Amino acid sequence: MATRNRTFLFRRYRDALKSVRVPSGRSAVSDGGAMIEMADASLLKQNRSYAPLSTHDPGTSSVGTPMMGLPPAWVDVSEEIAANIQRARSKMSELSKAHAQALMPSFGDGREDQHRIEALTHEVTDLLKKSERSLRRLSAAGRAEDSTVRKNVQRSLATDLQSLSMELRRKQSMYLKRLQQQKEGSDGVDLEMTLNGMHSRSEDDDFDDFGFNEHQMAKLKKSEAFTMERDREIQQVAESVNELAQIMKDLSVLVIDQGTIVDRIDHNIQNVAASVDEGLKQLQKAERHQKQGGMVMCATVLVIMCFIMLVLLIFKAILF
Amino acid sequence: MVLVSSARDYINRMLQDISGMKVLILDSQTVSVVSVVYSQSELLQKEVFLVELVDAISMSKESMSHLKAVYFLRPTSENIQHLKRQLAKPRFGEYNLFFSNMLNTTQLHILADSDEHEVVQQVQEFFADFVANEPYHFSLNTPSNYMYMLPAVIDPPNLQNYCDRIVDGVAAIFLAFKRRPVIRYSRTSDIAKRIAQEASKLMYQQESGLFDFRRTEISPLLLVIDRRDDPVTPLLNQWTYQAMVHELIGIKDNKVDLGNAGKFSKDQQEVVLSSEQDTFFKSNMYENFGDIGMSIKRMVDDFQQVAKSNQNIQTIEDMAKFVDNYPEYRKMQGNVSKHVTLVTEMSKIVEERKLMLVSQTEQELACNGGQGAAFEAVTNLLNNQSVSDIDRLRLVMLYALRYEKESPLQLMQLFNKLASRSPKYKPGLVQFLLKQAGVDRRTGDLYGNRDILNIARNMARGLKGVENVYTQHQPLLFQTMESITKGRLRDVDYPFVGNHFQQGRPQEVVIFIVGGTTYEESRCVALQNGLNSGTRFILGGSSLLNSKRFLKDLEEAQRIARSSTGVV
Repeated sequence: MATRNRTFLFRRYRDALKSVRVPSGRSAVSDGGAMIEMADASLLKQNRSYAPLSTHDPGTSSVGTPMMGLPPAWVDVSEEIAANIQRARSKMSELSKAHAQALMPSFGDGREDQHRIEALTHEVTDLLKKSERSLRRLSAAGRAEDSTVRKNVQRSLATDLQSLSMELRRKQSMYLKRLQQQKEGSDGVDLEMTLNGMHSRSEDDDFDDFGFNEHQMAKLKKSEAFTMERDREIQQVAESVNELAQIMKDLSVLVIDQGTIVDRIDHNIQNVAASVDEGLKQLQKAERHQKQGGMVMCATVLVIMCFIMLVLLIFKAILF
Repeated sequence: MVLVSSARDYINRMLQDISGMKVLILDSQTVSVVSVVYSQSELLQKEVFLVELVDAISMSKESMSHLKAVYFLRPTSENIQHLKRQLAKPRFGEYNLFFSNMLNTTQLHILADSDEHEVVQQVQEFFADFVANEPYHFSLNTPSNYMYMLPAVIDPPNLQNYCDRIVDGVAAIFLAFKRRPVIRYSRTSDIAKRIAQEASKLMYQQESGLFDFRRTEISPLLLVIDRRDDPVTPLLNQWTYQAMVHELIGIKDNKVDLGNAGKFSKDQQEVVLSSEQDTFFKSNMYENFGDIGMSIKRMVDDFQQVAKSNQNIQTIEDMAKFVDNYPEYRKMQGNVSKHVTLVTEMSKIVEERKLMLVSQTEQELACNGGQGAAFEAVTNLLNNQSVSDIDRLRLVMLYALRYEKESPLQLMQLFNKLASRSPKYKPGLVQFLLKQAGVDRRTGDLYGNRDILNIARNMARGLKGVENVYTQHQPLLFQTMESITKGRLRDVDYPFVGNHFQQGRPQEVVIFIVGGTTYEESRCVALQNGLNSGTRFILGGSSLLNSKRFLKDLEEAQRIARSSTGVV
């Protein structure tokens, strides 16, 4: 893969020509001086960088550099989303650590871990939801000219969001599965023990009265409370799955299917070209319409009127 | 030596060093170069948020200083002019210029002169100047591809352009592989000779510094041959999947346009057929039509199974699983309907044009002897009402190429019959083909009847019988490749350029066919590479032919040749 860098030669030519050229004002300050890469942006990027933009430093700005200006407002929104995604990503790695910890056998009841996991999951889901909302804002605001750019930014962010939410869901479901396996294992033992107990007791029970004794009542209550809690948990999980599914659905409109014609570069360009052409045609048509409509009509009427008046004037002069 | 990945590497390198939001600006040729190997979503991942054509970008005046422009252009004078205008009034924050081939000093001067605002950050040459349709097959998509058939005196400036484009493309291939080849060409072709010599001059004299790579033990080989050495292959009907799609519907830069073939839903009007992205296509592109039907049936069955399992969702787990698999499912759905559409469309055409019948005779003409029987078969088909005009023309052409010298009278009869049967037939086209690619003009033994060894081999094959009547034809390229791997390519027929000779068998061979390649040859090369014989082949051509395009080139060349002789 050979390449040849001609920048050096180019610079040399350019410098040589600059000294020859008539000094036409200091129109060439823009190189380097006025450009500041946002340094904090590099902190955010993990494997992809979003934010670095050339922003305009007001201190060194000179009137002779027309091409430097503040980026449009949607850039800020996109940066915000990018930052959110980064945050969500770091939270995700925390979450997977917490999952691993919770699955490890420990002597505590694991309630603390449980809480942390819940909180983290909630946070990530929130971040995703927030990003998704601002993503929609991205397309709504701004000028029409750079709509293609905006749409593409939106697409790229949407792809990221989608993969992130997929990952989250995968992690969640894996965690749940593992948890269930663990529970099942211990439940199985439990079940057997209670079964054995029941067996031994059922023989005694034959002689007992049929009403519930106190012990049994307590047990029943406990299991009832347990079921309630389980129910709540399941509800929660289902809710979060639902939320994620909603996000997925919204995003899937934006994300490009890979390997389809939409994913082709030339197809996109041709489409843009075609729609531009179509627009031009419409414009020309409109222009024609306008010409035919107002001005021409008016002028013709006026000219005709002029003639009539002239004729009248002549008649008047002749007759009287 | 894989074309697709080296083109991708170039584009990766172009985009990865520039941080921030980018706009990629291409010209009409580099669009094809980029789009066959890179996808829109991959571009988005590299933060390229806008892709534009160079002539469109200079129309708008609106400033977008928050974007960095990455230009990837061929170094043509038009593009330089566009750039010059753009640099005078820059719209973007910075300009990174990449050219797909060698810039000359004048062009560099013009650019430096117009860069008054000093917005250009870098000027580089990245030699991705070929359309890498497949890993071992590239095309140059050369405009006015009929030029190779015209004699040099008719239109010298255009012919020079044509040659330059090819030399550039071939040079880019070798720069991408970091090699300097020895060059051979086919003896009888003037244009192949000219291209070989110009390439040699470029690689060994003009830019010898650029081509001075670490020496390998055995230099690779560049073999420039002429389409007219094998005019039969682009005239035949094809029965393997990829080749067939190209022959009956048409593939352009790995895209198939179904728009005018019939009424399809909107997302099926144009489909992508790329072996890189589509695993089903990758494993079936070289299979023949019958087997494709079976494979597609299997794919549909699989899909139905998946669809069924997606239908009964009862538990939350099922739901979660469904949502997880949904993107995959959708992709599969798109793929299934794409291939089903293509195959349905093709079998419709096959039925309509009676291609089974026609193709059998075509293959007989291309592969086996027996002039009397062939004459009869062709006459019968010419009389058949349901055979289309283009198929009639091709049959007569194939017959004429095969039995050019044997019985002129019967050939004349066929010409007359063709003229009376097909109203659109332009008289003299077959004769023009014979003049262009007749037996005296060809290098190599197209029909295997010039020396005893080949005749014997043909007879042996005839005794053994063939597996499939419709795919028994082997392009001439197959023989050429065989002689290269055995080190038996004859110096008389394929002379070397200059004093750079080859010792021993080459390990890397680029075969360039001036006038265009076919997918049948591409298949042949892919199968040969699959054998791991120690020699890797890469096939390239000035364009990608099917019979329609080959005949169009032929007609165009005939028209120009005739009008110019009329003037002279």
